[in-house]
Amino acid sequence: MSKIESGYNKKSLPNSVSKIGGTLLAIGLLLGIAGFLVDSYRASYAYLVSFIFFLSIAVGSLFLVALEYAANADWSTPFRRISEFFAASLPLLLILVVPLFFNTSNLFLWSHAGYVHGDKMLEAKSAYLNTPFFMVRVIAIILLWLFFYWMITKNSRKQDETKDQVLTKRNITLSVIFIPVFAITITLTAIDWIMSLESKWFSTIFGVYLFAGVVWCSLAALTFSAIKLKENGYLHSAIKEDHYYSLGTLMFAFTAFWGYIAFSQYMLVWYGNLPEETFWFMQRWDGGWKFVSILLIITHFIVPFFGLLSYEAKTNVKRLKFMSVWILCVHFLDMYWLIMPGMSRNNHAYSFSWIDFVFPLVFIGILILVFNKMAEKFNLVPVGDPKLQRGLNFHL
Amino acid sequence: MSLDYSKELTLVQGNMTMADLDNAIAKPMDTKPNKNYFIALAFTSSLLLLGVIAVSLTFYYGIGEWGNNQPVGWAFDITNFVFWVGIAHAGTLISAILYLLRQKWRTAISRFSEAMTIFAVICAGIFPIIHTGRPWLAGYLIPYPNAMQLWPNFVSPLVWDVFAVSTYFIVSLLFWYVGLIPDFATLRDRTVSKIKKFIYSLFSLGWRHSNRDWRHYEKVYMILAGLATPLVLSVHTVVSFDFATSVLPGWHSTIFPPYFVAGAIFSGFAMVVTALVFMRKVFSLENIITMDHLDRMNKIILLTGSMVGYAYLMEFFISWYSGVPTEQYVAINRAFGPYAWGYWVMVSCNSIFPQLFWFRRFRRSIPVMFIVVVLVNVGMWFERFIIIVTSLHRDFLPSSWGMFYPTWVDFSILFGSFGLFFTLVLLFTRTLPVVTMSEIKGVVEGAQPSHYEGDHNA
Repeated sequence: MSKIESGYNKKSLPNSVSKIGGTLLAIGLLLGIAGFLVDSYRASYAYLVSFIFFLSIAVGSLFLVALEYAANADWSTPFRRISEFFAASLPLLLILVVPLFFNTSNLFLWSHAGYVHGDKMLEAKSAYLNTPFFMVRVIAIILLWLFFYWMITKNSRKQDETKDQVLTKRNITLSVIFIPVFAITITLTAIDWIMSLESKWFSTIFGVYLFAGVVWCSLAALTFSAIKLKENGYLHSAIKEDHYYSLGTLMFAFTAFWGYIAFSQYMLVWYGNLPEETFWFMQRWDGGWKFVSILLIITHFIVPFFGLLSYEAKTNVKRLKFMSVWILCVHFLDMYWLIMPGMSRNNHAYSFSWIDFVFPLVFIGILILVFNKMAEKFNLVPVGDPKLQRGLNFHL
Repeated sequence: MSLDYSKELTLVQGNMTMADLDNAIAKPMDTKPNKNYFIALAFTSSLLLLGVIAVSLTFYYGIGEWGNNQPVGWAFDITNFVFWVGIAHAGTLISAILYLLRQKWRTAISRFSEAMTIFAVICAGIFPIIHTGRPWLAGYLIPYPNAMQLWPNFVSPLVWDVFAVSTYFIVSLLFWYVGLIPDFATLRDRTVSKIKKFIYSLFSLGWRHSNRDWRHYEKVYMILAGLATPLVLSVHTVVSFDFATSVLPGWHSTIFPPYFVAGAIFSGFAMVVTALVFMRKVFSLENIITMDHLDRMNKIILLTGSMVGYAYLMEFFISWYSGVPTEQYVAINRAFGPYAWGYWVMVSCNSIFPQLFWFRRFRRSIPVMFIVVVLVNVGMWFERFIIIVTSLHRDFLPSSWGMFYPTWVDFSILFGSFGLFFTLVLLFTRTLPVVTMSEIKGVVEGAQPSHYEGDHNA
């Protein structure tokens, strides 16, 4: 146990972190409000893109925590707190979702009674796609996530003092229950927030598609922060390249997994060539969107696949940092590609606007501030975890 | 029961030395089989014979011997094909994917499950050839510039199947063989029979257990694992394309590729557990293939079974959500139509019974796990049957509705494929080491470098 204590000293993050976070949030808020005033239609979509991006990291990080417990993994134990701190943004979803609730009529055609009336397909769906039920679902899902977040992190923090193994056992139980809950809730999130933007489109794989991106970008957030924090001495000194290698492997695996899921969805729709399905991809090909679609294939699959393929790449700290920032940006692009074409459904000529890019500032600012706050209050290394020593000893 | 999370579980139990391991694993090859072995072999080869007779009748009279009809043009043949291809997924998952994920517990079960992979692919390969009705024309599936300038239709998923399954077979066989080379050398060095020595020498390719040998071996093994991983996922993906690229309601669904892959791993693991339960007992390998191994395999069965359950739910929900009447009809017809019994066999065996594995007590109970995995095997066969037959049997026009009734030839071919599979498994257990002798030594207590490093470094 002495080895654990000698390798880690708790200290607060530098002031610059909260300054950066605060500045981003302030600028983002100002510009965001301006965006809503200028063009609330576009701003609702742009806000949704960033909201889903933020949600991806928050709930995806909770999934990574649960995955570690469920799989009884030890190599990731020294990093687990980082994911816990990212998941700490989950309670804010309850507030951040409010602007979207006020703009459902901008986002969802199915929320217009006049549009649904007389359309047999939409009338049939209205038992599911209606504003009150939608809001109930969204809130219920966030509350479910919060429940698991609170329970799991409470046990994890308590263990820092008590070193009680029973807490690990409890968290394993919570985590294995959370995983199916997560599978269903992330699917409903994908259907409600993204698929239903196009009220008549459907794809059975869509939940898995979002899942792939959510885990991918949470891994990137974890990798980037882990390396940065370790470099500046905030993590345990025994963390080494072997640990990063595992993170790199997982990012690589989810790059391939996303590629597989995205290809399956596209190929089957293309091959079936049914108009009720193809129009969704046509929207993402018309106008300038084909450039974004092709860009997505290159940036979401080809570059990270080859960028993380070799052993050298996965143990190269610089490469990993670069790729994790890359992945975070590309996940944003993916969400952009999923959501924004919906707003141009009536006019083909779509053009970028400054409004599209102001909301990430808000959400990244919040993530940084929450992380900073958590790092002030709690240990960045779960010092009481029975698996920590195993995790620190880990080598390839 | 309290666990100590600060320690890893011991993989090999009973304080076995290296020599003990070699002896325990080589014992079935060094001793004469007993009466029970021959009884088992007689039973499986009789089933195989039944299958051979049924296939011969099919070749002689044509596939009119089967229950296939209009509109059910695909039935037992493709069901069996998909079933066996699915079984073939566990081996490569264990040997390649778990290797890449550095799951050391795989060493005890990888050899055996890889063998099952190869045998299952052999069983699967029969069906696409016989279901065409003209098996002598199967050569046309191979793309080569023949005199007639005839090429297979490259846009057809059925052709992709041929490529995917045959590539998979070759890579699995190579992977398996590469893993066997050090073991052949070990067997060569310990055998006293001259004939055996000659055979083992031949297959060990001059292996000397030298540092150079191991260096090359590990590189090759890693590369093959890397190649086998996308392959194993692609095979069942391509199989799912056979259905999903069509526009038939119930078949055309974007979730099919991952759903089929999860189902394949699920059924493959179930088949491996079915066989392991007997194998570890008969050959007294309980210290090598421990209860912890079965526990972990049952966890994977629970996970993949739940993924399959997720896919059932998604399909059902989206068929309603899509608002497409034909999609909705097929979903309702599956669950409540004339094949409802099969649908509920599928749902209960695949998604409900495996939920018992949430409890450690059931994951570690041989009778419970045996019943569950057998039910999973049944359920997964029914899954393919339900997918195939229910989408076909009620065509778009009610005048083209029908039912499928299997004949005794259908059943005989199905049982025959089980006969072939288990005959091969039985022969394998007596001719090759069922556990990787070389790898298992690397996971024995004390073999890991961490035991030396722990106290000195950092």
